[in-house]
Amino acid sequence: MAKIIGGFAISHTPSMGMEYDKGMANGFSPHWQPWFDGTRPMKDWLARMNPDRMVIVYNDHLNHFDFDAYPTLAIGIAPEFRQADEGWGLRPFPSLVGDVDLGWHLTNKLVRDGGFDLTVCQDLAIDHGIYSWMPYLKDTPWDTPIVPIAINMVRHPIPTSQRLYNFGKSIRAAIESFPSDERILVVATGGMSHQISGARFGIANEKLDRYFLSKLKSYVQELVDLPQEELMRLGGTEAAELAIWFAMRGALTDNIDEVYSYYTFPAITGCGVIAFEEKG
Amino acid sequence: MSNSIPFNLDPPGTYIYTGEMATKGYKLTRFGLSLRRPDNREKFLADEDAYMRAAGLSDEEIALVKARDWTGLLQAGGHLQAMLKVAATLGQNLWHIGAHNAEMEVEELMRLCPRKVNALPGGED
Ligand SMILES: [Fe+2]
Repeated sequence: MAKIIGGFAISHTPSMGMEYDKGMANGFSPHWQPWFDGTRPMKDWLARMNPDRMVIVYNDHLNHFDFDAYPTLAIGIAPEFRQADEGWGLRPFPSLVGDVDLGWHLTNKLVRDGGFDLTVCQDLAIDHGIYSWMPYLKDTPWDTPIVPIAINMVRHPIPTSQRLYNFGKSIRAAIESFPSDERILVVATGGMSHQISGARFGIANEKLDRYFLSKLKSYVQELVDLPQEELMRLGGTEAAELAIWFAMRGALTDNIDEVYSYYTFPAITGCGVIAFEEKG
Repeated sequence: MSNSIPFNLDPPGTYIYTGEMATKGYKLTRFGLSLRRPDNREKFLADEDAYMRAAGLSDEEIALVKARDWTGLLQAGGHLQAMLKVAATLGQNLWHIGAHNAEMEVEELMRLCPRKVNALPGGED
């Protein structure tokens, strides 16, 4: 059966992606150089882990879906996922490779056994939710197949933190019943503290973000029990995306090592990353 | 305008995007998202009024777009991510929206950011 070898969580923002492109062409700005430097060890770690597959829980920002039909939980099942045009054109990166077999297996298990009724997307364009950080962690070609799972974070009601934590646990059960010897990483992306509208635009709560990173391994339930409104009140409305991180943590056991974490605040979004390895 | 940030989720500090807002701003958001397509961006730039009328926007909504009244557009239910596409098409960006929301000049907002606060759960009520 397939095995979860670890997981990581990472922030995403449109500017993270654009600054990568600029940085690689002309050098990074002083704001973004620390993030580039801070993700180098993650890139090395990911290469060392060399997963066969990655299940990536992320959120779309109205770049693929629209409000004609906005799924609360959706899974992408296709041989490849193209980059979404967010309104300012495409960046020079290839499509992401998908894993149809694992996608259907997860869907069957999550819907029938896990109690999570996913919307299945056989065509899914992916936005900065994945494209902004992927270049920092992997050189092209991006040949590790992924299964993307999109969580609604753009219109309330959004799923509760406990629900996403439980979702992670069901993802674990589903992966562990996949008949293969694949080594799989579970990834979550969202947050950290930021707010990009209203007079509170630009709020930056480094203390909250570091608190969150420090608790994720051993005190995750404390974080899960925080009202999402509290994360939003203190860290900005978009800090609610931190709830996605619980899906990754829920997919791991408690028998894990925290192998890396890094945090910086480049512009208007707290940027953090944390990686865990299963000991078993 | 001061840089103090209120620790609550009330307007004008924060606009929570609820179902009610999604219903109110359905057409406005749909219009913004139509600009994900390059051909639509060209059509919109060629004739803003005609494009917006064809998108079914009301006179009030069209006036808000023409005034680049980002705050008014958010209050009318336009989703930030959709209004961001309108801004990008018009050569503006997130900072223009944020500065309008915060009633500042873009340069002033950029100078203030990141607007550092330090509070843990339960704090700064
Ligand atoms: Fe996001």
